[in-house]
Formats: sequence, C-alpha cells, structure tokens
Amino acid sequence: MKAPSDSVAPKTAAEAGEILARCDRAGEKVSIVGGATLRGMGFPPERSDINLSTKRLSGVVANEQADLTVAARAGTPIQSLTALLSTQGQFIPFDAPRPQYATVGGTLAAGWLGPRRHLYGRLRDYLIGSTIVLADGTIARAGGMVVKNVSGYDMSRFYVGSFGTLGIIVQANFKTVPLPKHARLFLARLPERTRARVCAQLQTLPMRPAAAFWIDGFHKAVDGDDGAEGRVAVLLEGSEMLLERATRELRSALGRAGVPETRVLDAGARESFQRVVDAYVACLGERSVTYRIASLPHSCEPNAQRANELARRFEMRAETIVDVLNGDIIVRVSDLDARALGAKIEAFDDALHEIEPRAQVIASDHPNRIYLRVWGESPPAIAQMQALKARFDPNRTLNPGRFVGGI
Amino acid sequence: MLRERLIAALGSDAVKTEPEDLAVYSFDAYTDGGRPVAVVLPKSTQEVSAVVKIARDCGEPIVARGAGTGLCGGAVPTAGGVIVSLMRMNRILELDLRNRRVRVQPGLMNLDLSRQVAPEGLFYAPDPSSQQISTIGGNIATNAGGPHCLSYGTTVNHVLGLEVVDDAGEVFVTSIEDAGYDLTAALVGSEGTLGLVTSAWLRLLALPEAVRVWVAAFDGMDAASEAVSAIIAAGIVPTALEMMDAVIIGAVEAAFHAGYPTDAAALLLVESAGFEEDVAASEEAIHAIVKQHGAHYWKSAHTLAERNALWAGRKGAAGATGRIAPNYYTQDVCVPRSKLPQALRAVEAAARINRITVGNVFHAGDGNLHPLLMYDKSDARQVAAVVETGNVILESAIELGGTISGEHGIGWEKRDAMTRVYSTADLAVMGRVRDVFDPRRMLNPEKIFPSGARCPEVTPP
Repeated sequence: MKAPSDSVAPKTAAEAGEILARCDRAGEKVSIVGGATLRGMGFPPERSDINLSTKRLSGVVANEQADLTVAARAGTPIQSLTALLSTQGQFIPFDAPRPQYATVGGTLAAGWLGPRRHLYGRLRDYLIGSTIVLADGTIARAGGMVVKNVSGYDMSRFYVGSFGTLGIIVQANFKTVPLPKHARLFLARLPERTRARVCAQLQTLPMRPAAAFWIDGFHKAVDGDDGAEGRVAVLLEGSEMLLERATRELRSALGRAGVPETRVLDAGARESFQRVVDAYVACLGERSVTYRIASLPHSCEPNAQRANELARRFEMRAETIVDVLNGDIIVRVSDLDARALGAKIEAFDDALHEIEPRAQVIASDHPNRIYLRVWGESPPAIAQMQALKARFDPNRTLNPGRFVGGI
Repeated sequence: MLRERLIAALGSDAVKTEPEDLAVYSFDAYTDGGRPVAVVLPKSTQEVSAVVKIARDCGEPIVARGAGTGLCGGAVPTAGGVIVSLMRMNRILELDLRNRRVRVQPGLMNLDLSRQVAPEGLFYAPDPSSQQISTIGGNIATNAGGPHCLSYGTTVNHVLGLEVVDDAGEVFVTSIEDAGYDLTAALVGSEGTLGLVTSAWLRLLALPEAVRVWVAAFDGMDAASEAVSAIIAAGIVPTALEMMDAVIIGAVEAAFHAGYPTDAAALLLVESAGFEEDVAASEEAIHAIVKQHGAHYWKSAHTLAERNALWAGRKGAAGATGRIAPNYYTQDVCVPRSKLPQALRAVEAAARINRITVGNVFHAGDGNLHPLLMYDKSDARQVAAVVETGNVILESAIELGGTISGEHGIGWEKRDAMTRVYSTADLAVMGRVRDVFDPRRMLNPEKIFPSGARCPEVTPP
C-alpha cells in the first residue's frame, strides 16, 4: 500500500464525475473519504492514487418542513443536519458515532446500523432518493422527494452499505419523522448473575425502549464511573405520559430481574446515549480491535458471554456493548500495548471466527488489522456481489479491496 | 418438448397447456393481456429451479406470478413464455417467535400470515388493499404498501432475507445481516426481473394494545388536504391517514352502509395504534386540528366492530364504484404531501375535460393518490378518455415533483413513463443491475424498462 499521492475535494457532482472519469481512464485508484469516523470498518483500499474528499460537497439542498423531507449533500456532517431537523421537531435515526465529524454520505456508504433501528427502522429505509457518481463519471439519480416510490429498482437503497465500491453518493434525500418530545435514560449496575434475566426482560417489555444495552467495560464512556460491574442502559423516548408508564414498567421489570437500583437521567439522556454509540468505534490507541457480531436478540447474551470468555483465554481485556433489542454484540479486545496485541490478535481472530463466523472488525488502529478476517465469512451471494462490482466499476477504480470478497 | 420436460419434472397436474387454462393466466388486474405457452405450479424451490432450467433450455421467458392482483400488468406474459404460478407454495416454513420473525413461501396470502400469527400477539405490517387475496411473493415483487405503511413502512422495511432462484435456475440466499451489498433491498420491488423469490424471512410486529379509528368530514377536498398536512406537521404520525371524496362516499354508503356522512365533500379516515396514552393524546390533538380546518363531523370508533365498519368502506371502495360504472381504472401516483390540493385539482380538471367520472380514495398521509376513473369498456370513447385522463394525471404528478407510482409498480403499463422521471443514464444504471441478474432478459421481459429507442437494454461487456 502506498500513500495517496493526491487529494481532491470536488464542489459539485459534475466535478466529481470528471475526476472519476479521468482516473478511471488513466487506471488511477480513488479512495473516498467522508468524515473518516468509520475508516476502521472494512479493509483499507489496496491502492490509492487519489483521495477524494466529500467535504466540499456539503450542505442541505432541500428542506420541505411540511412534507417531512430533506435532501443533503454527501459531506454534510450528521450533527449539523440533526441540529437543523431538531429545530423543526424532526429527526432521522442516524445513530452515527462522532456525528460532529461523521457525514451523511459516509454513514450511508458504511451502511451504519444504529441501536435505535429496532424502534425506528433502518437508516436505509429513510432514504427516498439519491444522486450517485459512478466510476466512469456517470451521474445517476434515483428516487425523488416523495415518501413512497416504486419506479423501477430501488437504486438508492442499493448503494447503502456499499463502502464506495459502486459509486460515490453525492446527495441523499430522506424522509424524516417527528422527534420524540422526551427522552430518558436508565442506568443501573448489572451483576453478572442477573444478566440473562435482564436481557430477557428488556426484550419482552410491553413498551419498546428506543435502545437497551448491557455494557461491560465502557463505564467511563457511559457514566464516568470505573466500577467493576457491568451496566444496563436503557433509552426511552416518547411523550411525557408514555415515558411515565414506560418508567414504571421498566422499573418493575428490572426489579424482577434482580437489578437493585436504577439511576434515571432526563437531562442529557440523548448525550449519554450518544457516548455509548461513540464507544462502538473508539480505539485504545493501537492496542485494540473492535468486532461487531450480528446475533439474534434471543441469543446475544450467551454469544457475548462466549466471546468474552474467549478473549479472557487469550489473556486480553474484553469490553462489551450488547444491543439487546437488535442482537448486536460489540466487543473491543485490547492488550497492554500494540506489540502484545499484535502477538496474539491473529490467533484470537481465527478462534473468534470459529464460533462467530460473521464477526466483523469495525474499528482498530493496529497495523495487523489487515491480516484479520475483517468482513467475517463471505456472504452466500458473494458471486452476485462480485459480478455487480464488475458491472459498475470494471476497472476497480473505486476503493479497490476495501469491501468483502476482494471487492 | 417443453411440455414433456415440464411434466417430467413437475408431474402432469402441475403443468397446464390447454388453451382454456392458458387464458386464465393471460391477464392480471390490468387491462392488457398476453399468452403464455405453458403455466406451471411448482410446489418447492427445487421445482422452481427445474422449471427455470427447462425454460432456459427451450428459450422461453419466465414470468413469476402470485395471485394476479397486480394493477400494472406486471404478471402478464406479454412476451409469451412460461408462467410460474407460486400459489401452491403457500406455507409458513419457520416461525421464530422469540426473535419475532417468520419464513414463508411466496404463495402465502398476505392476510393469512397475519391471521396465523395473531394468536401469538403478532402481525405482519404491510397491508395492501388486496391483502385478502394477494400473496407475499407478489407483495415483495412490487414492494407493496397499503394504508398502514404511513407508519410501518412498505414491504422492503419488513423483509429480512430472501431465497431466490436466478435466471439459470440456481438458488441463492440473501440476508440484510450479511456483509456485502444489500441484495435484499435490490430484489424487493424488482417485479420478477431479477429472480424468483421462493421463500422470505419477514419481520413481525407486536399487535398494538390500543387502536382507534376516527372519521372527520369536510366541505371540500382542499380543507381535508390541509388538515392532513397539519396533522403530520404537528408531529403526529397516525398509523393510517386516508381520504375519500364525495363520489366514493356515496358509492360506499350505498354498498356497505359504513356510517359515513353522505353530505360530506371529503372524508378523512384516521387510525392511530400503539399505547393507550399515545392513542388518547392523538385523538385529542387530531380532533382539534380537523376542527380548525373546518371539519363539520367527527366520529370515533373504539371497539373492533366499530373500527371494522369504518374500514370496510375504505377497503371496499373500489368495488363499490361498480354501482357508478361497470369498469374502473386505478391510477397510482405519489406527490409531496403539501402538493395534495394541487394534485387533486389536476385530477378533477383532467376528468372533467375528458368527461369521465372520477372518485378519489387514497393514502393521503403519504401523498399517494389513487384516482378511480370509471368507465364502460364497451364504449370506445370512454376507453380513450380514461387513457387520456390517466396520462394527464401522471404528467401533473410529475410536474408537482411527484412520481409515476407510489405502490402499484411499473409493470407493463408504465414502463414507457419511466423516461418521464428518469434520464437515459439513470435507467442505464438500473440496467446494469439487470445485466448481472438477467443478462439474457428472460425474467419477466418487457416490464419496468421502457420499450423503443431509449431502451437501456445494453448487453453486458
């Protein structure tokens, strides 16, 4: 891998198209950069001649408040879009880590899966239209500014999670939803013996929380406390009356499961939630690797336990965030320093994939990261995916090698 | 040769080639028809796979078909070929209650799924008006919506993964949890042009604890449209927000006695579901908003029987127009919600100029119009007038920033209108996806992609 020789930041889709067309003809490889907050997901591009940044492709281009739709250019920071929408009483559940840097385009390209999708749906289901620049410079639009649209293939959703290997998302049109008026965060110590019961209770609450986590080892991120036990953190969102009832139900459910006491946070509830999301991809210098293991809600607790035990066997520290409503397991394994981690991470990676074939690396600054099974086992339809790449980007101009299966 | 091979693979009871049988499969709910060379009714993924291989060998295109309720000719064998009816693949394969998901075969009726999981306190959210007869496979092919997708989203939001038979008869599977491109999202809504879905994992939702339905009547469609925008702008997302005009109200009352006020020019049917606290708060807020916008009638239905009575009118509206004219054609366009008044005026003007009776009954909350154009198909003038009116409505929706289909799909009917909303380049990009999954254009040919010179049917390199 050589260092990028050049950086460009086009201001328009047309400019981006010209750059790509030129590179595509010249055989130059282009890596695409948004806020670089999720650069630890996937492989680094195997070669990069040009760094294309979306930072000047920024800003909201349409905002129909009454229609609950908004269109933003790729480089728009999530935080500024979210701030604009919140003044209108609306939101889109991006749930992206470090939203002050994360961009609309990057978050979509990474197919980021936020914790609140259990309640509000996936980010891709808010996308109603898009403008894409393909490797050959073609500028293509899909969808529009209406909330329902079945005109041909849903090309907008198609690019979500494609890691810039099919084209560059230069504009995204979204539908929005009303911002829940109130938010409340519950925090409690979670003794190990109550963990399974707590997870089960959280999954069967009559009133669905916006997010519910079992957190182990990320205490500082959550409440500034370095206590030894795990935590349960539950975010409730909705009307005041709904929160009152949800509070009662949650308290009694946690009580039944043996959680001794609960701290309730109204002010700063969403900020605390954001700190948990930030922790998903936070690295401990070069001495950590963070995995995401997609599990099912019912099996996430034992699966997370198993991954933790494995890390202990390798004498590594394991920290965990388990999203008990979606079944996502985030495990950050770390050692004393980069060398200590480097000595065992590949063996750990093998062992982890024995029990969790689909585990993916989502964050690490360790140089050995590229030797890990970053994407987990290949998906069953990898042949179709490779064929799509070949049809959209035959010269492998865009982010070559960044994606699954060598794409 | 084709027939013999199909019979050898599926048995004679699953292969139909008699003219009277083929006639049944020549149409869907659209007006134009085609003529298949054979119809097969496979019972398993393996049989679907075998059929595709045989058809491919014999150079025959494949048209997958569910219940044939599609309104745009998507299941019509316009290019002949073999119709693969999936109606015998109608079982629930796996019900995973703990993770609230279910795997079903494509021929399962939409409503049957919700009925079968209801005892467990669950339901399947997408509910196209055809849900009593349409199939999950057909719903997936068109990314079907329905009144309740206002809050629950369309079919694509509820599909977790697919098993698909490709153009070569090979089976592949997708899951939204897999690494890689989101093939599930690409396949949903592809109208049978990228593969044949042979099973699907679907998301189930918990039945809400409280449901209420309200009816508000207005003196004009504009006032009702503005009330719709005001409800949404107030931060309320009802589970359904439907509108009907005087023509529909009259027809429905005559047919069903749903209890709608017959003197109203426009009627809103609003449903809110969820927790008791929220539903009660919504009732208060919505009632205040509609009053502000001049509603002169308000009715609240709490019990299941009362709610069903109000919904029966909405769901039976299209059928009820049979009292006005022997035939109807449903247009399906979607506009930004705030453009509803203009869109409705354009519908009214187009119908008036062409001397066609129009009834509006539609998903107002989504800005998704369904003007029903009533006519007698034995009268050539009326047929021509309906076609013209439908086109004008389509054009006016596009001019208002809308789209040519909100939920019915493109199929055969609207494929040439695709060039009105997409450039040649945009369509060529869709064509690249087609190149990968169906390079020979043998899966439901002549659908979605426009005919003629601007056809992006490029050959892959």
